Amino acid sequence: MNLEQLKQLKEKAQKQIALREGGKKYRVVVSMGTSGIASGAREVMKTMLDEIEKRGLDDVEVHVTGEHGLEDIEPVVLVEEAGGEKTTYAQLDTEKAKKIVAEHLQKGRKVDNLAVGKQKKTE
Amino acid sequence: MFEELSQHILDIAMNSLSANAKQVQISILESRKHDWLVLRVRDDGRGMDAATLKRVLTNHWSSKPQRRKPVGLGLALLQQTSEMCGGHFHVQSAPGRGTSVTASMRLSHIDRPPLGDLNTTILALCATDKKMDVQLNYRSDGQKFSFDSRELATKG
Repeated sequence: MNLEQLKQLKEKAQKQIALREGGKKYRVVVSMGTSGIASGAREVMKTMLDEIEKRGLDDVEVHVTGEHGLEDIEPVVLVEEAGGEKTTYAQLDTEKAKKIVAEHLQKGRKVDNLAVGKQKKTE
Repeated sequence: MFEELSQHILDIAMNSLSANAKQVQISILESRKHDWLVLRVRDDGRGMDAATLKRVLTNHWSSKPQRRKPVGLGLALLQQTSEMCGGHFHVQSAPGRGTSVTASMRLSHIDRPPLGDLNTTILALCATDKKMDVQLNYRSDGQKFSFDSRELATKG
């Protein structure tokens, strides 16, 4: 175990805790059940956090939840826009995750070819 | 199925979240001297009765129909990893008294998965909606590290 890496944890966790405070334009929810973790949801989450930080996006919050009941198409990430659409992205990997941050979260353009299902309005 | 022990830890601790735990304590002991690696995930969630515990531990992956919700799969997987690596696996739980999962393995065992990206596991647990407190205690022969999400929350 590399203790040096662990020492960065406190700083990163501080930012992470700040990221779940609410009231942001975009709310990203990563499904982190057994099948999600097994298919790479944790790596997808890490990539999104890194990209959000790299791009300095401060109107995004990131949350983790249990199973979405979509275990056949994990990793699954839900992007909710405040007062707007909910988009479900499925079968993600780290490259697709970067694309979602760059397009949807930064430029506000939904990545249609990665999205699944019908659009839903946020209540 | 999981390549890293830190993925197992995340999975088990997500069970704690589902059990409405307010706090989850993760401890990792890594001793080259004694050739053991011991993981423990303890929570103050709703706990399980003996029958439920027995059921979640016997529901192995191979025996499950594919589309049914794999309840308890994660525990069975960790048990498998632990026993395959010359260790022991133990779950202590009772309704209203939380759950404690302990898995040991031989540090030098050829099949032992690496701990892997523990940082991201802890970050993910800090990002849950239910605001569960997360503690980590890591100890090896000569080193120690501890983390407590409550310390961070008060500063922010």
